[in-house]
Amino acid sequence: MNTSGTSQNIHEQIVALLPRLRRFARNLTRNPHDADDVVQIAVERALTRLDQWRSDAGLDGWMFKIVRNAWIDELRSRARRDKIFLAAEAGDMIGTDAVASTTELLSVQSAMAQLPDEQREAVSLVLVEGLPYKEAADVLDVPIGTLTSRLARGREALQAILGTQGEGT
Amino acid sequence: MISDETLMAYADGELDAAAREAVESAMREDPRIEQKVARHRALRLQVQAAYSAELLEDVPESLLSAARGAASTPGARVVNLRDAAAALDREAARARMPRRRWRTAAAMAASVIAGVGLGFFIWGRTALPLVRSADGAFIARGWLATALSDQLTAEQSRSSAVKIGLSFLAKSGDYCRTFALPGKAPSSGLACRHGGQWQVRTLTEGPEGSDASEYRTAGSTTPAVILELVEAQISGVPLDGEGERVARQRGWKPADR
Repeated sequence: MNTSGTSQNIHEQIVALLPRLRRFARNLTRNPHDADDVVQIAVERALTRLDQWRSDAGLDGWMFKIVRNAWIDELRSRARRDKIFLAAEAGDMIGTDAVASTTELLSVQSAMAQLPDEQREAVSLVLVEGLPYKEAADVLDVPIGTLTSRLARGREALQAILGTQGEGT
Repeated sequence: MISDETLMAYADGELDAAAREAVESAMREDPRIEQKVARHRALRLQVQAAYSAELLEDVPESLLSAARGAASTPGARVVNLRDAAAALDREAARARMPRRRWRTAAAMAASVIAGVGLGFFIWGRTALPLVRSADGAFIARGWLATALSDQLTAEQSRSSAVKIGLSFLAKSGDYCRTFALPGKAPSSGLACRHGGQWQVRTLTEGPEGSDASEYRTAGSTTPAVILELVEAQISGVPLDGEGERVARQRGWKPADR
């Protein structure tokens, strides 16, 4: 049957996306455990809403958005429960073992961690995940102009943090 | 003067042909502009490189199976119980502060189980009498609980609102039963008798606007998602007709515990 054939295909596409979903979620949450929880919720949620995915829209953008919304929901419910995790917990975060093979890689990641959430999201979607501006703006539910200005500021900040090391000044 | 945002968009390949042309001619005239573009490109590559290793990490099995979960069962999807919890919270909030939408939902529910004050979980077009206990478990109430407690597979008819599938003793020591709710929005689930209540452990729902063949499938057979759970949890073999009868007499309390 046509529809089930398509949806089988989507399941495998989601599996193929998992590494990127985890990477995006880590940039979002700055904590690998939270990231996997959020991806799990997002995948389950996406599977109940496959009918809402329009195949003309990129599956990656659609899934990134669900991941992000799941994280926003999680943050809200944590706030409700008065148990707000502080980003300080991100001590055991991304980039400690698998990624931190060179100090340069680590410095990019720690520079990213210093960005305000809005800029980190924009940089993460465009520079790390390679989404076009339009799709990244859709994921974040902002106009494209907002996306580009967040991206520009995020880049500037990264440049400032990394540049001072790189150029030795 | 070309703005830095435009140079960034150029480096990211976001400009149309005319704007690209303008940037390129400016780059030819002014090496500082060329440098700025080069910096944007270099940063992009540096950030990409810093995150590329993460793609090579092994993905946890739990995520893989979540992604494949429904793949084996087109026509039945696992309902996200966290969403369900949120829905129940919203319903509860409406119940405390009565508004029109809640009354509409309540009126629908009342036609099924008049006069019993219960929380309802509306999934698709199916209204399930589920309440959430203090520890977050989903407890079947009303007609769903009645069917789980009383209905024997041998006795159920085509017109039964709830179809019981398999009944079995789980490794946990609890009796569990699979059930299916035929209708416009068919769903299936697994419930286990625990602490004198039927806890609904998993729910699946069929696709919206399902056609006749999907309806029949979801209504009369147990989806593979549920069967996998049964396989994982069952101790021994499913109960036969006599076993069901004995378990019912005992109020679904395990014999030797």
